[in-house]
Amino acid sequence: MRGARTGSLVAGALVAALVAVLIADYVVAARRAPQDDKLIKSLQQQTKADASFAPALAAEQKRVTAARLARKGRDDAVAWALIAAAAAFLTLAKRWVPQGQGQAPGGKSATRGSRADGGVRPTLAELDLGFVDTLVSKIGRGKEAAIPLLQAIQTHYRYLPDEALRRLCELTEITPAEIAGTSSFYGQFRRSPVGEHMVRVCHGTACHVSGARQITEELRRFLEIPEGADTDTARMFTLDEVACLGCCSLAPVLMVDGHTAGKLTPATACDALKVTA
Amino acid sequence: MSGLPKIGRAPAAILALFVLALGAAPSAPAQAIPYTRPVETAPQQDAIGGGYRTPAVQRPLPRDYWLQVLDVVLLGAAMGISVWLVLKRRSRRWLVALAIGSLGYFGFYREGCICPIGSIQNVVVAIADPRYSIPMVVTATFVLPLVVALFFGRAFCGGVCALGAIQELVVLRPVQVPRRLDRALGLLKYVYLGLAVLFAVRPALARDFLICRFDPFVGFFRRTGAPHMLLIGGAFLVVGMFVGRPYCRYLCPYGGLLAWCARVAKRGVTITPDRELDCGLCAGACPYGAIEKMRAVGRNCLYCARCYSSCPCDGELAHAKAELVRLKGVAPS
Repeated sequence: MRGARTGSLVAGALVAALVAVLIADYVVAARRAPQDDKLIKSLQQQTKADASFAPALAAEQKRVTAARLARKGRDDAVAWALIAAAAAFLTLAKRWVPQGQGQAPGGKSATRGSRADGGVRPTLAELDLGFVDTLVSKIGRGKEAAIPLLQAIQTHYRYLPDEALRRLCELTEITPAEIAGTSSFYGQFRRSPVGEHMVRVCHGTACHVSGARQITEELRRFLEIPEGADTDTARMFTLDEVACLGCCSLAPVLMVDGHTAGKLTPATACDALKVTA
Repeated sequence: MSGLPKIGRAPAAILALFVLALGAAPSAPAQAIPYTRPVETAPQQDAIGGGYRTPAVQRPLPRDYWLQVLDVVLLGAAMGISVWLVLKRRSRRWLVALAIGSLGYFGFYREGCICPIGSIQNVVVAIADPRYSIPMVVTATFVLPLVVALFFGRAFCGGVCALGAIQELVVLRPVQVPRRLDRALGLLKYVYLGLAVLFAVRPALARDFLICRFDPFVGFFRRTGAPHMLLIGGAFLVVGMFVGRPYCRYLCPYGGLLAWCARVAKRGVTITPDRELDCGLCAGACPYGAIEKMRAVGRNCLYCARCYSSCPCDGELAHAKAELVRLKGVAPS
């Protein structure tokens, strides 16, 4: 650990030094090049006028060429050393820099589901409240009629719409508090709209230990059910977690409408929903 | 949904046939290009006299045709191995080995040329300009990774692309780029692709092979190049230590094409729903933001296999031997 740290620091310093060498070499060469070119050009012109300058020109050209070739070779060697040093630096640094510790950005994407309810709640115009009026005249207006009324509303709308409950309070002697109490006490009543298909995922002991939670999570992702809701925005599926479906030997189990599917994995759970198609 | 019919083992067979066809078929167009250009204006051997002999080779000969075909075959083979290592073996270790091999061959030995990224412009010019033709090997180099991406996702990016490999190897301590910034920067590559096409379809004199000229890493492969490009390349590598593969994700125009193809891929990298724990270790390990809501996003996945290597249910960790750990402050018995 400590050796890797020192090693990587040494290699890193080497990388920096070699880069500095290359830059210095480049700067020196870049500054010298125009001077060399100028000298050669003037020698060429002198040679044109006086042939005795020819050997000097040739010697100068040879010197410049040799210097440039030497720089090329030198730089190539330094570059290879640089690559090797960089490789050593990375290999050693990876030993002590913690890997794969980044925070998953999942938290942010999860909060996106908060707009869920807006899409799910139906508008008042959709609901035909005339049903509540006829129902009250049929069953009665007393407090004792609360449960039959709620059951009938639930059967008709498949859930208890807020508007229907408000209408119920206007028409009968039942108070909003009593309706809230009754409808939240019994498991048979639900206050949010339900999808076309009901998916009941068993969360009994056997199913729990064989991964019911992973299956629920996968179904939520697959159906794109927003955080905090139980029904997808298209209102096709409602996901319900139930206590036991009574076939623990098939765990983990789910029921789609009337169909039961057992021995599920997260992948096959999504396929199981296709019986409804 | 069904962009492609389910064809079982057929993709592999099709690929093999494709590779074979490319290798076997037209050797004529490439060899028909006249490389030995007779020099008419310069003094000829006879005119010079005095026993002068024109050297046989006036300019470096092109690489043998069979070697060029070998490059294409190696490209295909490397992608096959990459797919196998990631999808079947789920081994990051071997993938890194493959990446080092590809970096050595396609990068340092072949000096970064020919590469599918740069071939975009050659292909575009060949389509736009009837007088410009490209050899079959270039077409193959361009098409092959896209075909693989159609079936398996961006296998080329993982262990094959030399530019990708050099960045893959320098990733040291990656940060997660915020999703929105990541998306916005990701659009840059399409702008670059558009520019590249635009500069390629211009008339011959105004044509500019942008992608190759501004390739940030080719200078390292050749150990020479324009100083500013070397500097930019170095900057990319330094940034790449902390932001995973910046060139691939935000600038590579070929990555844009591959991302389009990878959208329809049915057999790419998946975060295994069968045995997973929903623990999110894979999403934390992915430096490229390619895991959204715990599921791999094929168009962003760069085939690095980090997700598998960090998975406690799968890959290397699952098969590793248990290691005894000494706890601090506990007296040895």
